[in-house]
Amino acid sequence: MAGPVASGTVFLKACECLTPFGHSAETLAALLRGERALQPRSVLGREGGDLVPLALLPDRALDETAPPSWLAPVRTLLAPVNDAGWGTARRPVFVTSSNFGAGSLYAYRRSGDAAHMEYGALVNCVAWLSKQLGWHENVAIFSHACVSAHLGLLQASRVVQAGLADEALVFSFDFLSPFVSGGFNALKILNADFPAPYQARATGSIGLGDGAGYAVLSRAKGDFTISAQSMYNEMHHFTSNQPDGAGFEACLAPIAAQAAGRRLWIKGHGTGTLDAGRMESGAFAKVFPGAPLVGWKGSLGHTLGSCGMVELAISIAALRDGRTPGTIGSGAPTFTAEVALDSFANDRYDGVICASNAFGGAHAALLLSHA
Amino acid sequence: MLERFIQNIFTDNAGTETQAETRERLKGCFAPGATRRMTQLGMVVGSVLNKLEPAPEDTLVYASTFAESRSLESYLDSFPAASPTLFQTSIHPSGAQQGLIGRQRSLGEVFSHSGVDQMPAQSLLTALLAPAARVLLCGGEERGDWLVNYYSAQDRTFGYALALTREAGFAPLGRLALLPTEEAGLMKQSEWFDLLHQRRALDGPIALGWRLQLNWS
Repeated sequence: MAGPVASGTVFLKACECLTPFGHSAETLAALLRGERALQPRSVLGREGGDLVPLALLPDRALDETAPPSWLAPVRTLLAPVNDAGWGTARRPVFVTSSNFGAGSLYAYRRSGDAAHMEYGALVNCVAWLSKQLGWHENVAIFSHACVSAHLGLLQASRVVQAGLADEALVFSFDFLSPFVSGGFNALKILNADFPAPYQARATGSIGLGDGAGYAVLSRAKGDFTISAQSMYNEMHHFTSNQPDGAGFEACLAPIAAQAAGRRLWIKGHGTGTLDAGRMESGAFAKVFPGAPLVGWKGSLGHTLGSCGMVELAISIAALRDGRTPGTIGSGAPTFTAEVALDSFANDRYDGVICASNAFGGAHAALLLSHA
Repeated sequence: MLERFIQNIFTDNAGTETQAETRERLKGCFAPGATRRMTQLGMVVGSVLNKLEPAPEDTLVYASTFAESRSLESYLDSFPAASPTLFQTSIHPSGAQQGLIGRQRSLGEVFSHSGVDQMPAQSLLTALLAPAARVLLCGGEERGDWLVNYYSAQDRTFGYALALTREAGFAPLGRLALLPTEEAGLMKQSEWFDLLHQRRALDGPIALGWRLQLNWS
């Protein structure tokens, strides 16, 4: 039933993220202090609507500008690795997102200002971004809602492992707009409450956040490795999972086989919805009993297609620092005893499993450890 | 060598058909009433993909340059009362998921591509690198409305689905291989579809660094 595990190991030569707190070191520090980036904001930006928890980059409004306000922080994020050779035959780029330039598309449709269309919609957005960042034409695009980053990581791993590339850049991004917040609000899972991942309470809720991140994958260089990756797609329902939670377990099974005998902690998806949180934490407790489970979307919000990359970069920062932030925003009772509400020292663990889920019952997980 | 054998292929050249016409033509391919909630892309891709009988151990590679463009247009026009259904169906890879969810067909790996110039080559590379014994490579576009004016939607509707295996088997319909090249080339999704639909052979560069060999038995 489960998806195959990527063979071999790929090294992470670099991995970094951007959140409302800053890059991974600043984000880790804020999470360890228990800070919450989410703030109540109008779901439709300047057009008003319900107040919902959103985490935006500093000085960034929900309504998009032309050119998009997120370009400058993305340039800064990528500056340490963005040399002239990306997008050539031996140095491919994998761009992953769920929404791409949807904020610009929304801004055009509401305002009629055609200037937004240079960045609106998927194709135009990536073409413009590639030009801005000086990438050549070898740019692949993956989009699969909130597991998008994992698709890029897995395919980049295979390209690198097959010797078809010297190294690969995986870039993930999703910046909020009324397009996205309005959609989740319409689905009634984005409401006035702050998210409390894995907490057993009466009503579930999520928050949404801006996020971006990148990883440079190599066959031989890097302080950290991804040694197993897995995917599973339930195709049961667009917005709910199989009621027995079998999809979560099916994705974890190949990772468990690869991780046998290792002491692990787990960075879960944990958006704050009740059914998915109960099934996800239950599957982790069953497949990895005793492994502490944390989720950070109670602070950062759900950064959608970029969440797999953003939270990978924070996990690496946590491994470097020796401390793992707890599940911010949540309290007792939790769905399972393994849910870690407080931060903990991670130096006695061998690695971390990073998992993400998406619409359609899509599941993805990877095993991260020191090289 | 990056090579796979084509065991089965289905294409649907819906062209400028309206969504209602496509629904009427393809309603027999899905459960009764299901097409009322499906997009044109979902119907076209779902109808050809389901003929391959997806199995849990298959890898699915789905490729759409503009993805769910018509849903995107309708969803944008639903504001300020955002439509939850259109929000869901506007999210890539809804076009492939609609038919699979309708038939409850779980899968291991699903790779969902988008993009323009390099996409057919990239999706082929993903399919050829996948370790699964059988890879289903499908894709398509749906005819957009105002997004066509901004090169953000296709001007015609089509879908394709191929079953690819590592072993040739008894009677493959064809063979495709990717080979490194220094020649420049470019093949867009609509050209890739036409090649498949007309069962034409090709031996030439299709993207930076890649040459495609496509032969039919």
